[in-house]
Amino acid sequence: MSNAINSDEPAPPALPEDAPLPIDARKTHVAAEFKHDFPLTTCRIDPTGRFVFAGAEDLNVYRWSLTEKKEGDKPVAKTTFAGHESWVRSMDFSPDGQWLYTGGYDDHIGIWRADDAQPKPVKMVEAHKGWVRWVRVSPDGQLLASCGNDNLVKVWKLPDFELVQQFEGHKRYPYAVDFHPDGKRIASFDLMGVLKEWDMETGKELRSMEAKFMWGFDLKFRADMGGARDLRFSPDGKTLAVAGLTEVTNAFAGVHKPMILLVDWDAGKHRQKLKVDSYKGMAWGVRFHPEGFLVAVGAPQGGASGALWFWKPGEEKPFHTVKLSHCGRAVDLTPDATKLTIAQFDGKLTVYQMTEKTAS
Amino acid sequence: MRRDTGCNAIDHAISRRAMLAGSAAATAVGVAGKVLPAETKQLATQQKRILQVFLQGGVSQLESWDPKPGTRYGGPFRAIDTSVPGIRISELLPHIAQRMHHLSIVRSINIKTNSHQQGHVFMERGRRAGVFPYIGTVAAKYLAPKTASLPGFMHITTRGLNDNTNAFLPAEFAQLKLPGAAAPENLKHSGKLTADAAKRRNELRRRLSQRFSGKVGQPAFTDSYDSSYTLADKLLAKKGLFEGDPPPKELERYGSHPFGRNCIVARKLLEAGSTCVKVTHHGYDTHAENFNFHLEQLAEFDKTFCMLLDDLHDSGMLESTLVLIMSEFGRTPKINQRYGRDHWGTAWSMALGGCGIKPGAVVGMTNEEGTAVAEREVDGRHLFHTYFRALGLDTTDHHDIPGRAIPIGDPTGEAIGELLA
Repeated sequence: MSNAINSDEPAPPALPEDAPLPIDARKTHVAAEFKHDFPLTTCRIDPTGRFVFAGAEDLNVYRWSLTEKKEGDKPVAKTTFAGHESWVRSMDFSPDGQWLYTGGYDDHIGIWRADDAQPKPVKMVEAHKGWVRWVRVSPDGQLLASCGNDNLVKVWKLPDFELVQQFEGHKRYPYAVDFHPDGKRIASFDLMGVLKEWDMETGKELRSMEAKFMWGFDLKFRADMGGARDLRFSPDGKTLAVAGLTEVTNAFAGVHKPMILLVDWDAGKHRQKLKVDSYKGMAWGVRFHPEGFLVAVGAPQGGASGALWFWKPGEEKPFHTVKLSHCGRAVDLTPDATKLTIAQFDGKLTVYQMTEKTAS
Repeated sequence: MRRDTGCNAIDHAISRRAMLAGSAAATAVGVAGKVLPAETKQLATQQKRILQVFLQGGVSQLESWDPKPGTRYGGPFRAIDTSVPGIRISELLPHIAQRMHHLSIVRSINIKTNSHQQGHVFMERGRRAGVFPYIGTVAAKYLAPKTASLPGFMHITTRGLNDNTNAFLPAEFAQLKLPGAAAPENLKHSGKLTADAAKRRNELRRRLSQRFSGKVGQPAFTDSYDSSYTLADKLLAKKGLFEGDPPPKELERYGSHPFGRNCIVARKLLEAGSTCVKVTHHGYDTHAENFNFHLEQLAEFDKTFCMLLDDLHDSGMLESTLVLIMSEFGRTPKINQRYGRDHWGTAWSMALGGCGIKPGAVVGMTNEEGTAVAEREVDGRHLFHTYFRALGLDTTDHHDIPGRAIPIGDPTGEAIGELLA
């Protein structure tokens, strides 16, 4: 990767003219911007890289094309996915990108054809009693895991949505789930900073770990604050990244710091706690970039200085930070990992390119 | 430095005793010989009371009594039908929805302040400014029978504003704050002091107080001192109310959390004759994570409150108990960047029911996005008049204060007639 700053290193060989530009996080710049008139809640890029989807506080999900050429001042067309009766905070896709799954705070999971010209939900499944907080498709695309305010983690067989597993054990709301890349295990993280691993075959809990520093009890208001705002295994399955908060001093005013926790999955140990000491707020999204660094977004406690951080595991501070036009609420990478998208509080869905700017 | 009250306690001994009695007969000795209305006479024979549930910090009207799902600021929660056709409330209140026929909603409160302190005292005093007695104090003074065996105004709360609840009324009507469901500390006599010795000692103290009060002319201070003993004595006699853990079935119904236990004690106090019991449920000042916190707080409030409401109804007490569910203000329609809602006194709601209140009514409305009152704007003045009119007290009458006649309710406001049964 080209983030090295050692000037003694030899200059990289010249690239052929048609070769893709090398990734350089320090050169991250805005490549496109889509605007919606409601705050966005999340965003995902489909596995084919054709579309980016975003949830919004108007209860809908929206789709923009990432391949459509912008003509003059004319905005890129936006397609509405209407069907939920509440906010959508989590989405995922079938591996071929044909199907979109949306988890709603209306207790339902929506199943949609991702590229429909006039989308309608193919099915709305009442998945949990209480909010569906997270949905995640298994690496082989055969299963979907969800978690919700009934404190359950459920696994559904696709495409018919037959319930095949139900994991009980979280005492408070599980906020997010992810499949281990081996497809045999699931991780879930709850409000209280409890991280559980579940066995897909036996339906049993394999282990429970604690990350209590990602939870806080506000003594004044007698309330708990914590949970994962994003959860993601590294492609090799050795590390789990949890985005959230730490050092809660006033839950009701949102006084806390963002944190990305990296868990050594095999050892069951906290490998690293990534935080930005000068920043108060929340980490809302995290991704492992294939070139070995982490991408994360945050929203501040006050003001509009959302942040896009680039971290190298092992280092305490981000090696690069991009100031956002407002609070970041989710991040996702394109399949080729040259771009990322960020959903923001101000309704902007911004596409950033992690390469040198090109003339076009 | 002590305040010169400008009058001798002896001059007003009779009227002060009359206040202490708190009965309709006693209060009939009114300003300029005015006799209070006929309704108050009924209070001597049938006690009326208040259950006040205070959702501290400002509950969101959009997540409770005035949901606007699918609108710009509606948030993630849906509205659900209730037992009253046409009234829909937030899905966060499913138990109340089944009991909506016992309650009514006011959806058009505008108190023109976003301050916790100002909002709280306006909603309690029924006055925008000035020091006036709280709802509980007025109830204790005018509704408590002469023979009341419990302090008239008891407030169960783990924390909250320390305010002058009785204002210019005698200290015995001030709020007695209980820090939770457990008996207050220091309720027992110290050391080897027997009950008889304590009684004799108290009598000596009382005589000395009387003499002191008469000579020095500081009735307010002496009253305050005396009433602390009077209230403690009453509480001591009823200490059984706080003893022992509630039966498992009650804890299952109410919840074993502090609010559940507090509501069990509140019910016991009301059953034992307390005139106003206020229970504060904390945790609604949600500048961040409004939705996650309301999800938790209202789930706790909804079920527990309904168990208390059921018990009052089943025992036949609801007809003579005014039930208030209130806050100091509501929360902004606009959702901030922390998924929070901020202070909002401009267009918000409360619910009430029981004694004297027409059930199943909705008064007022906000506009489509909940940003302003659209119809029938009211504030703390109107609500204060409404509460006491529902209880049979004429709020256009006056407090009988030595040398002064102070209207019970703000003369610039009036009761919300549509709510009165």
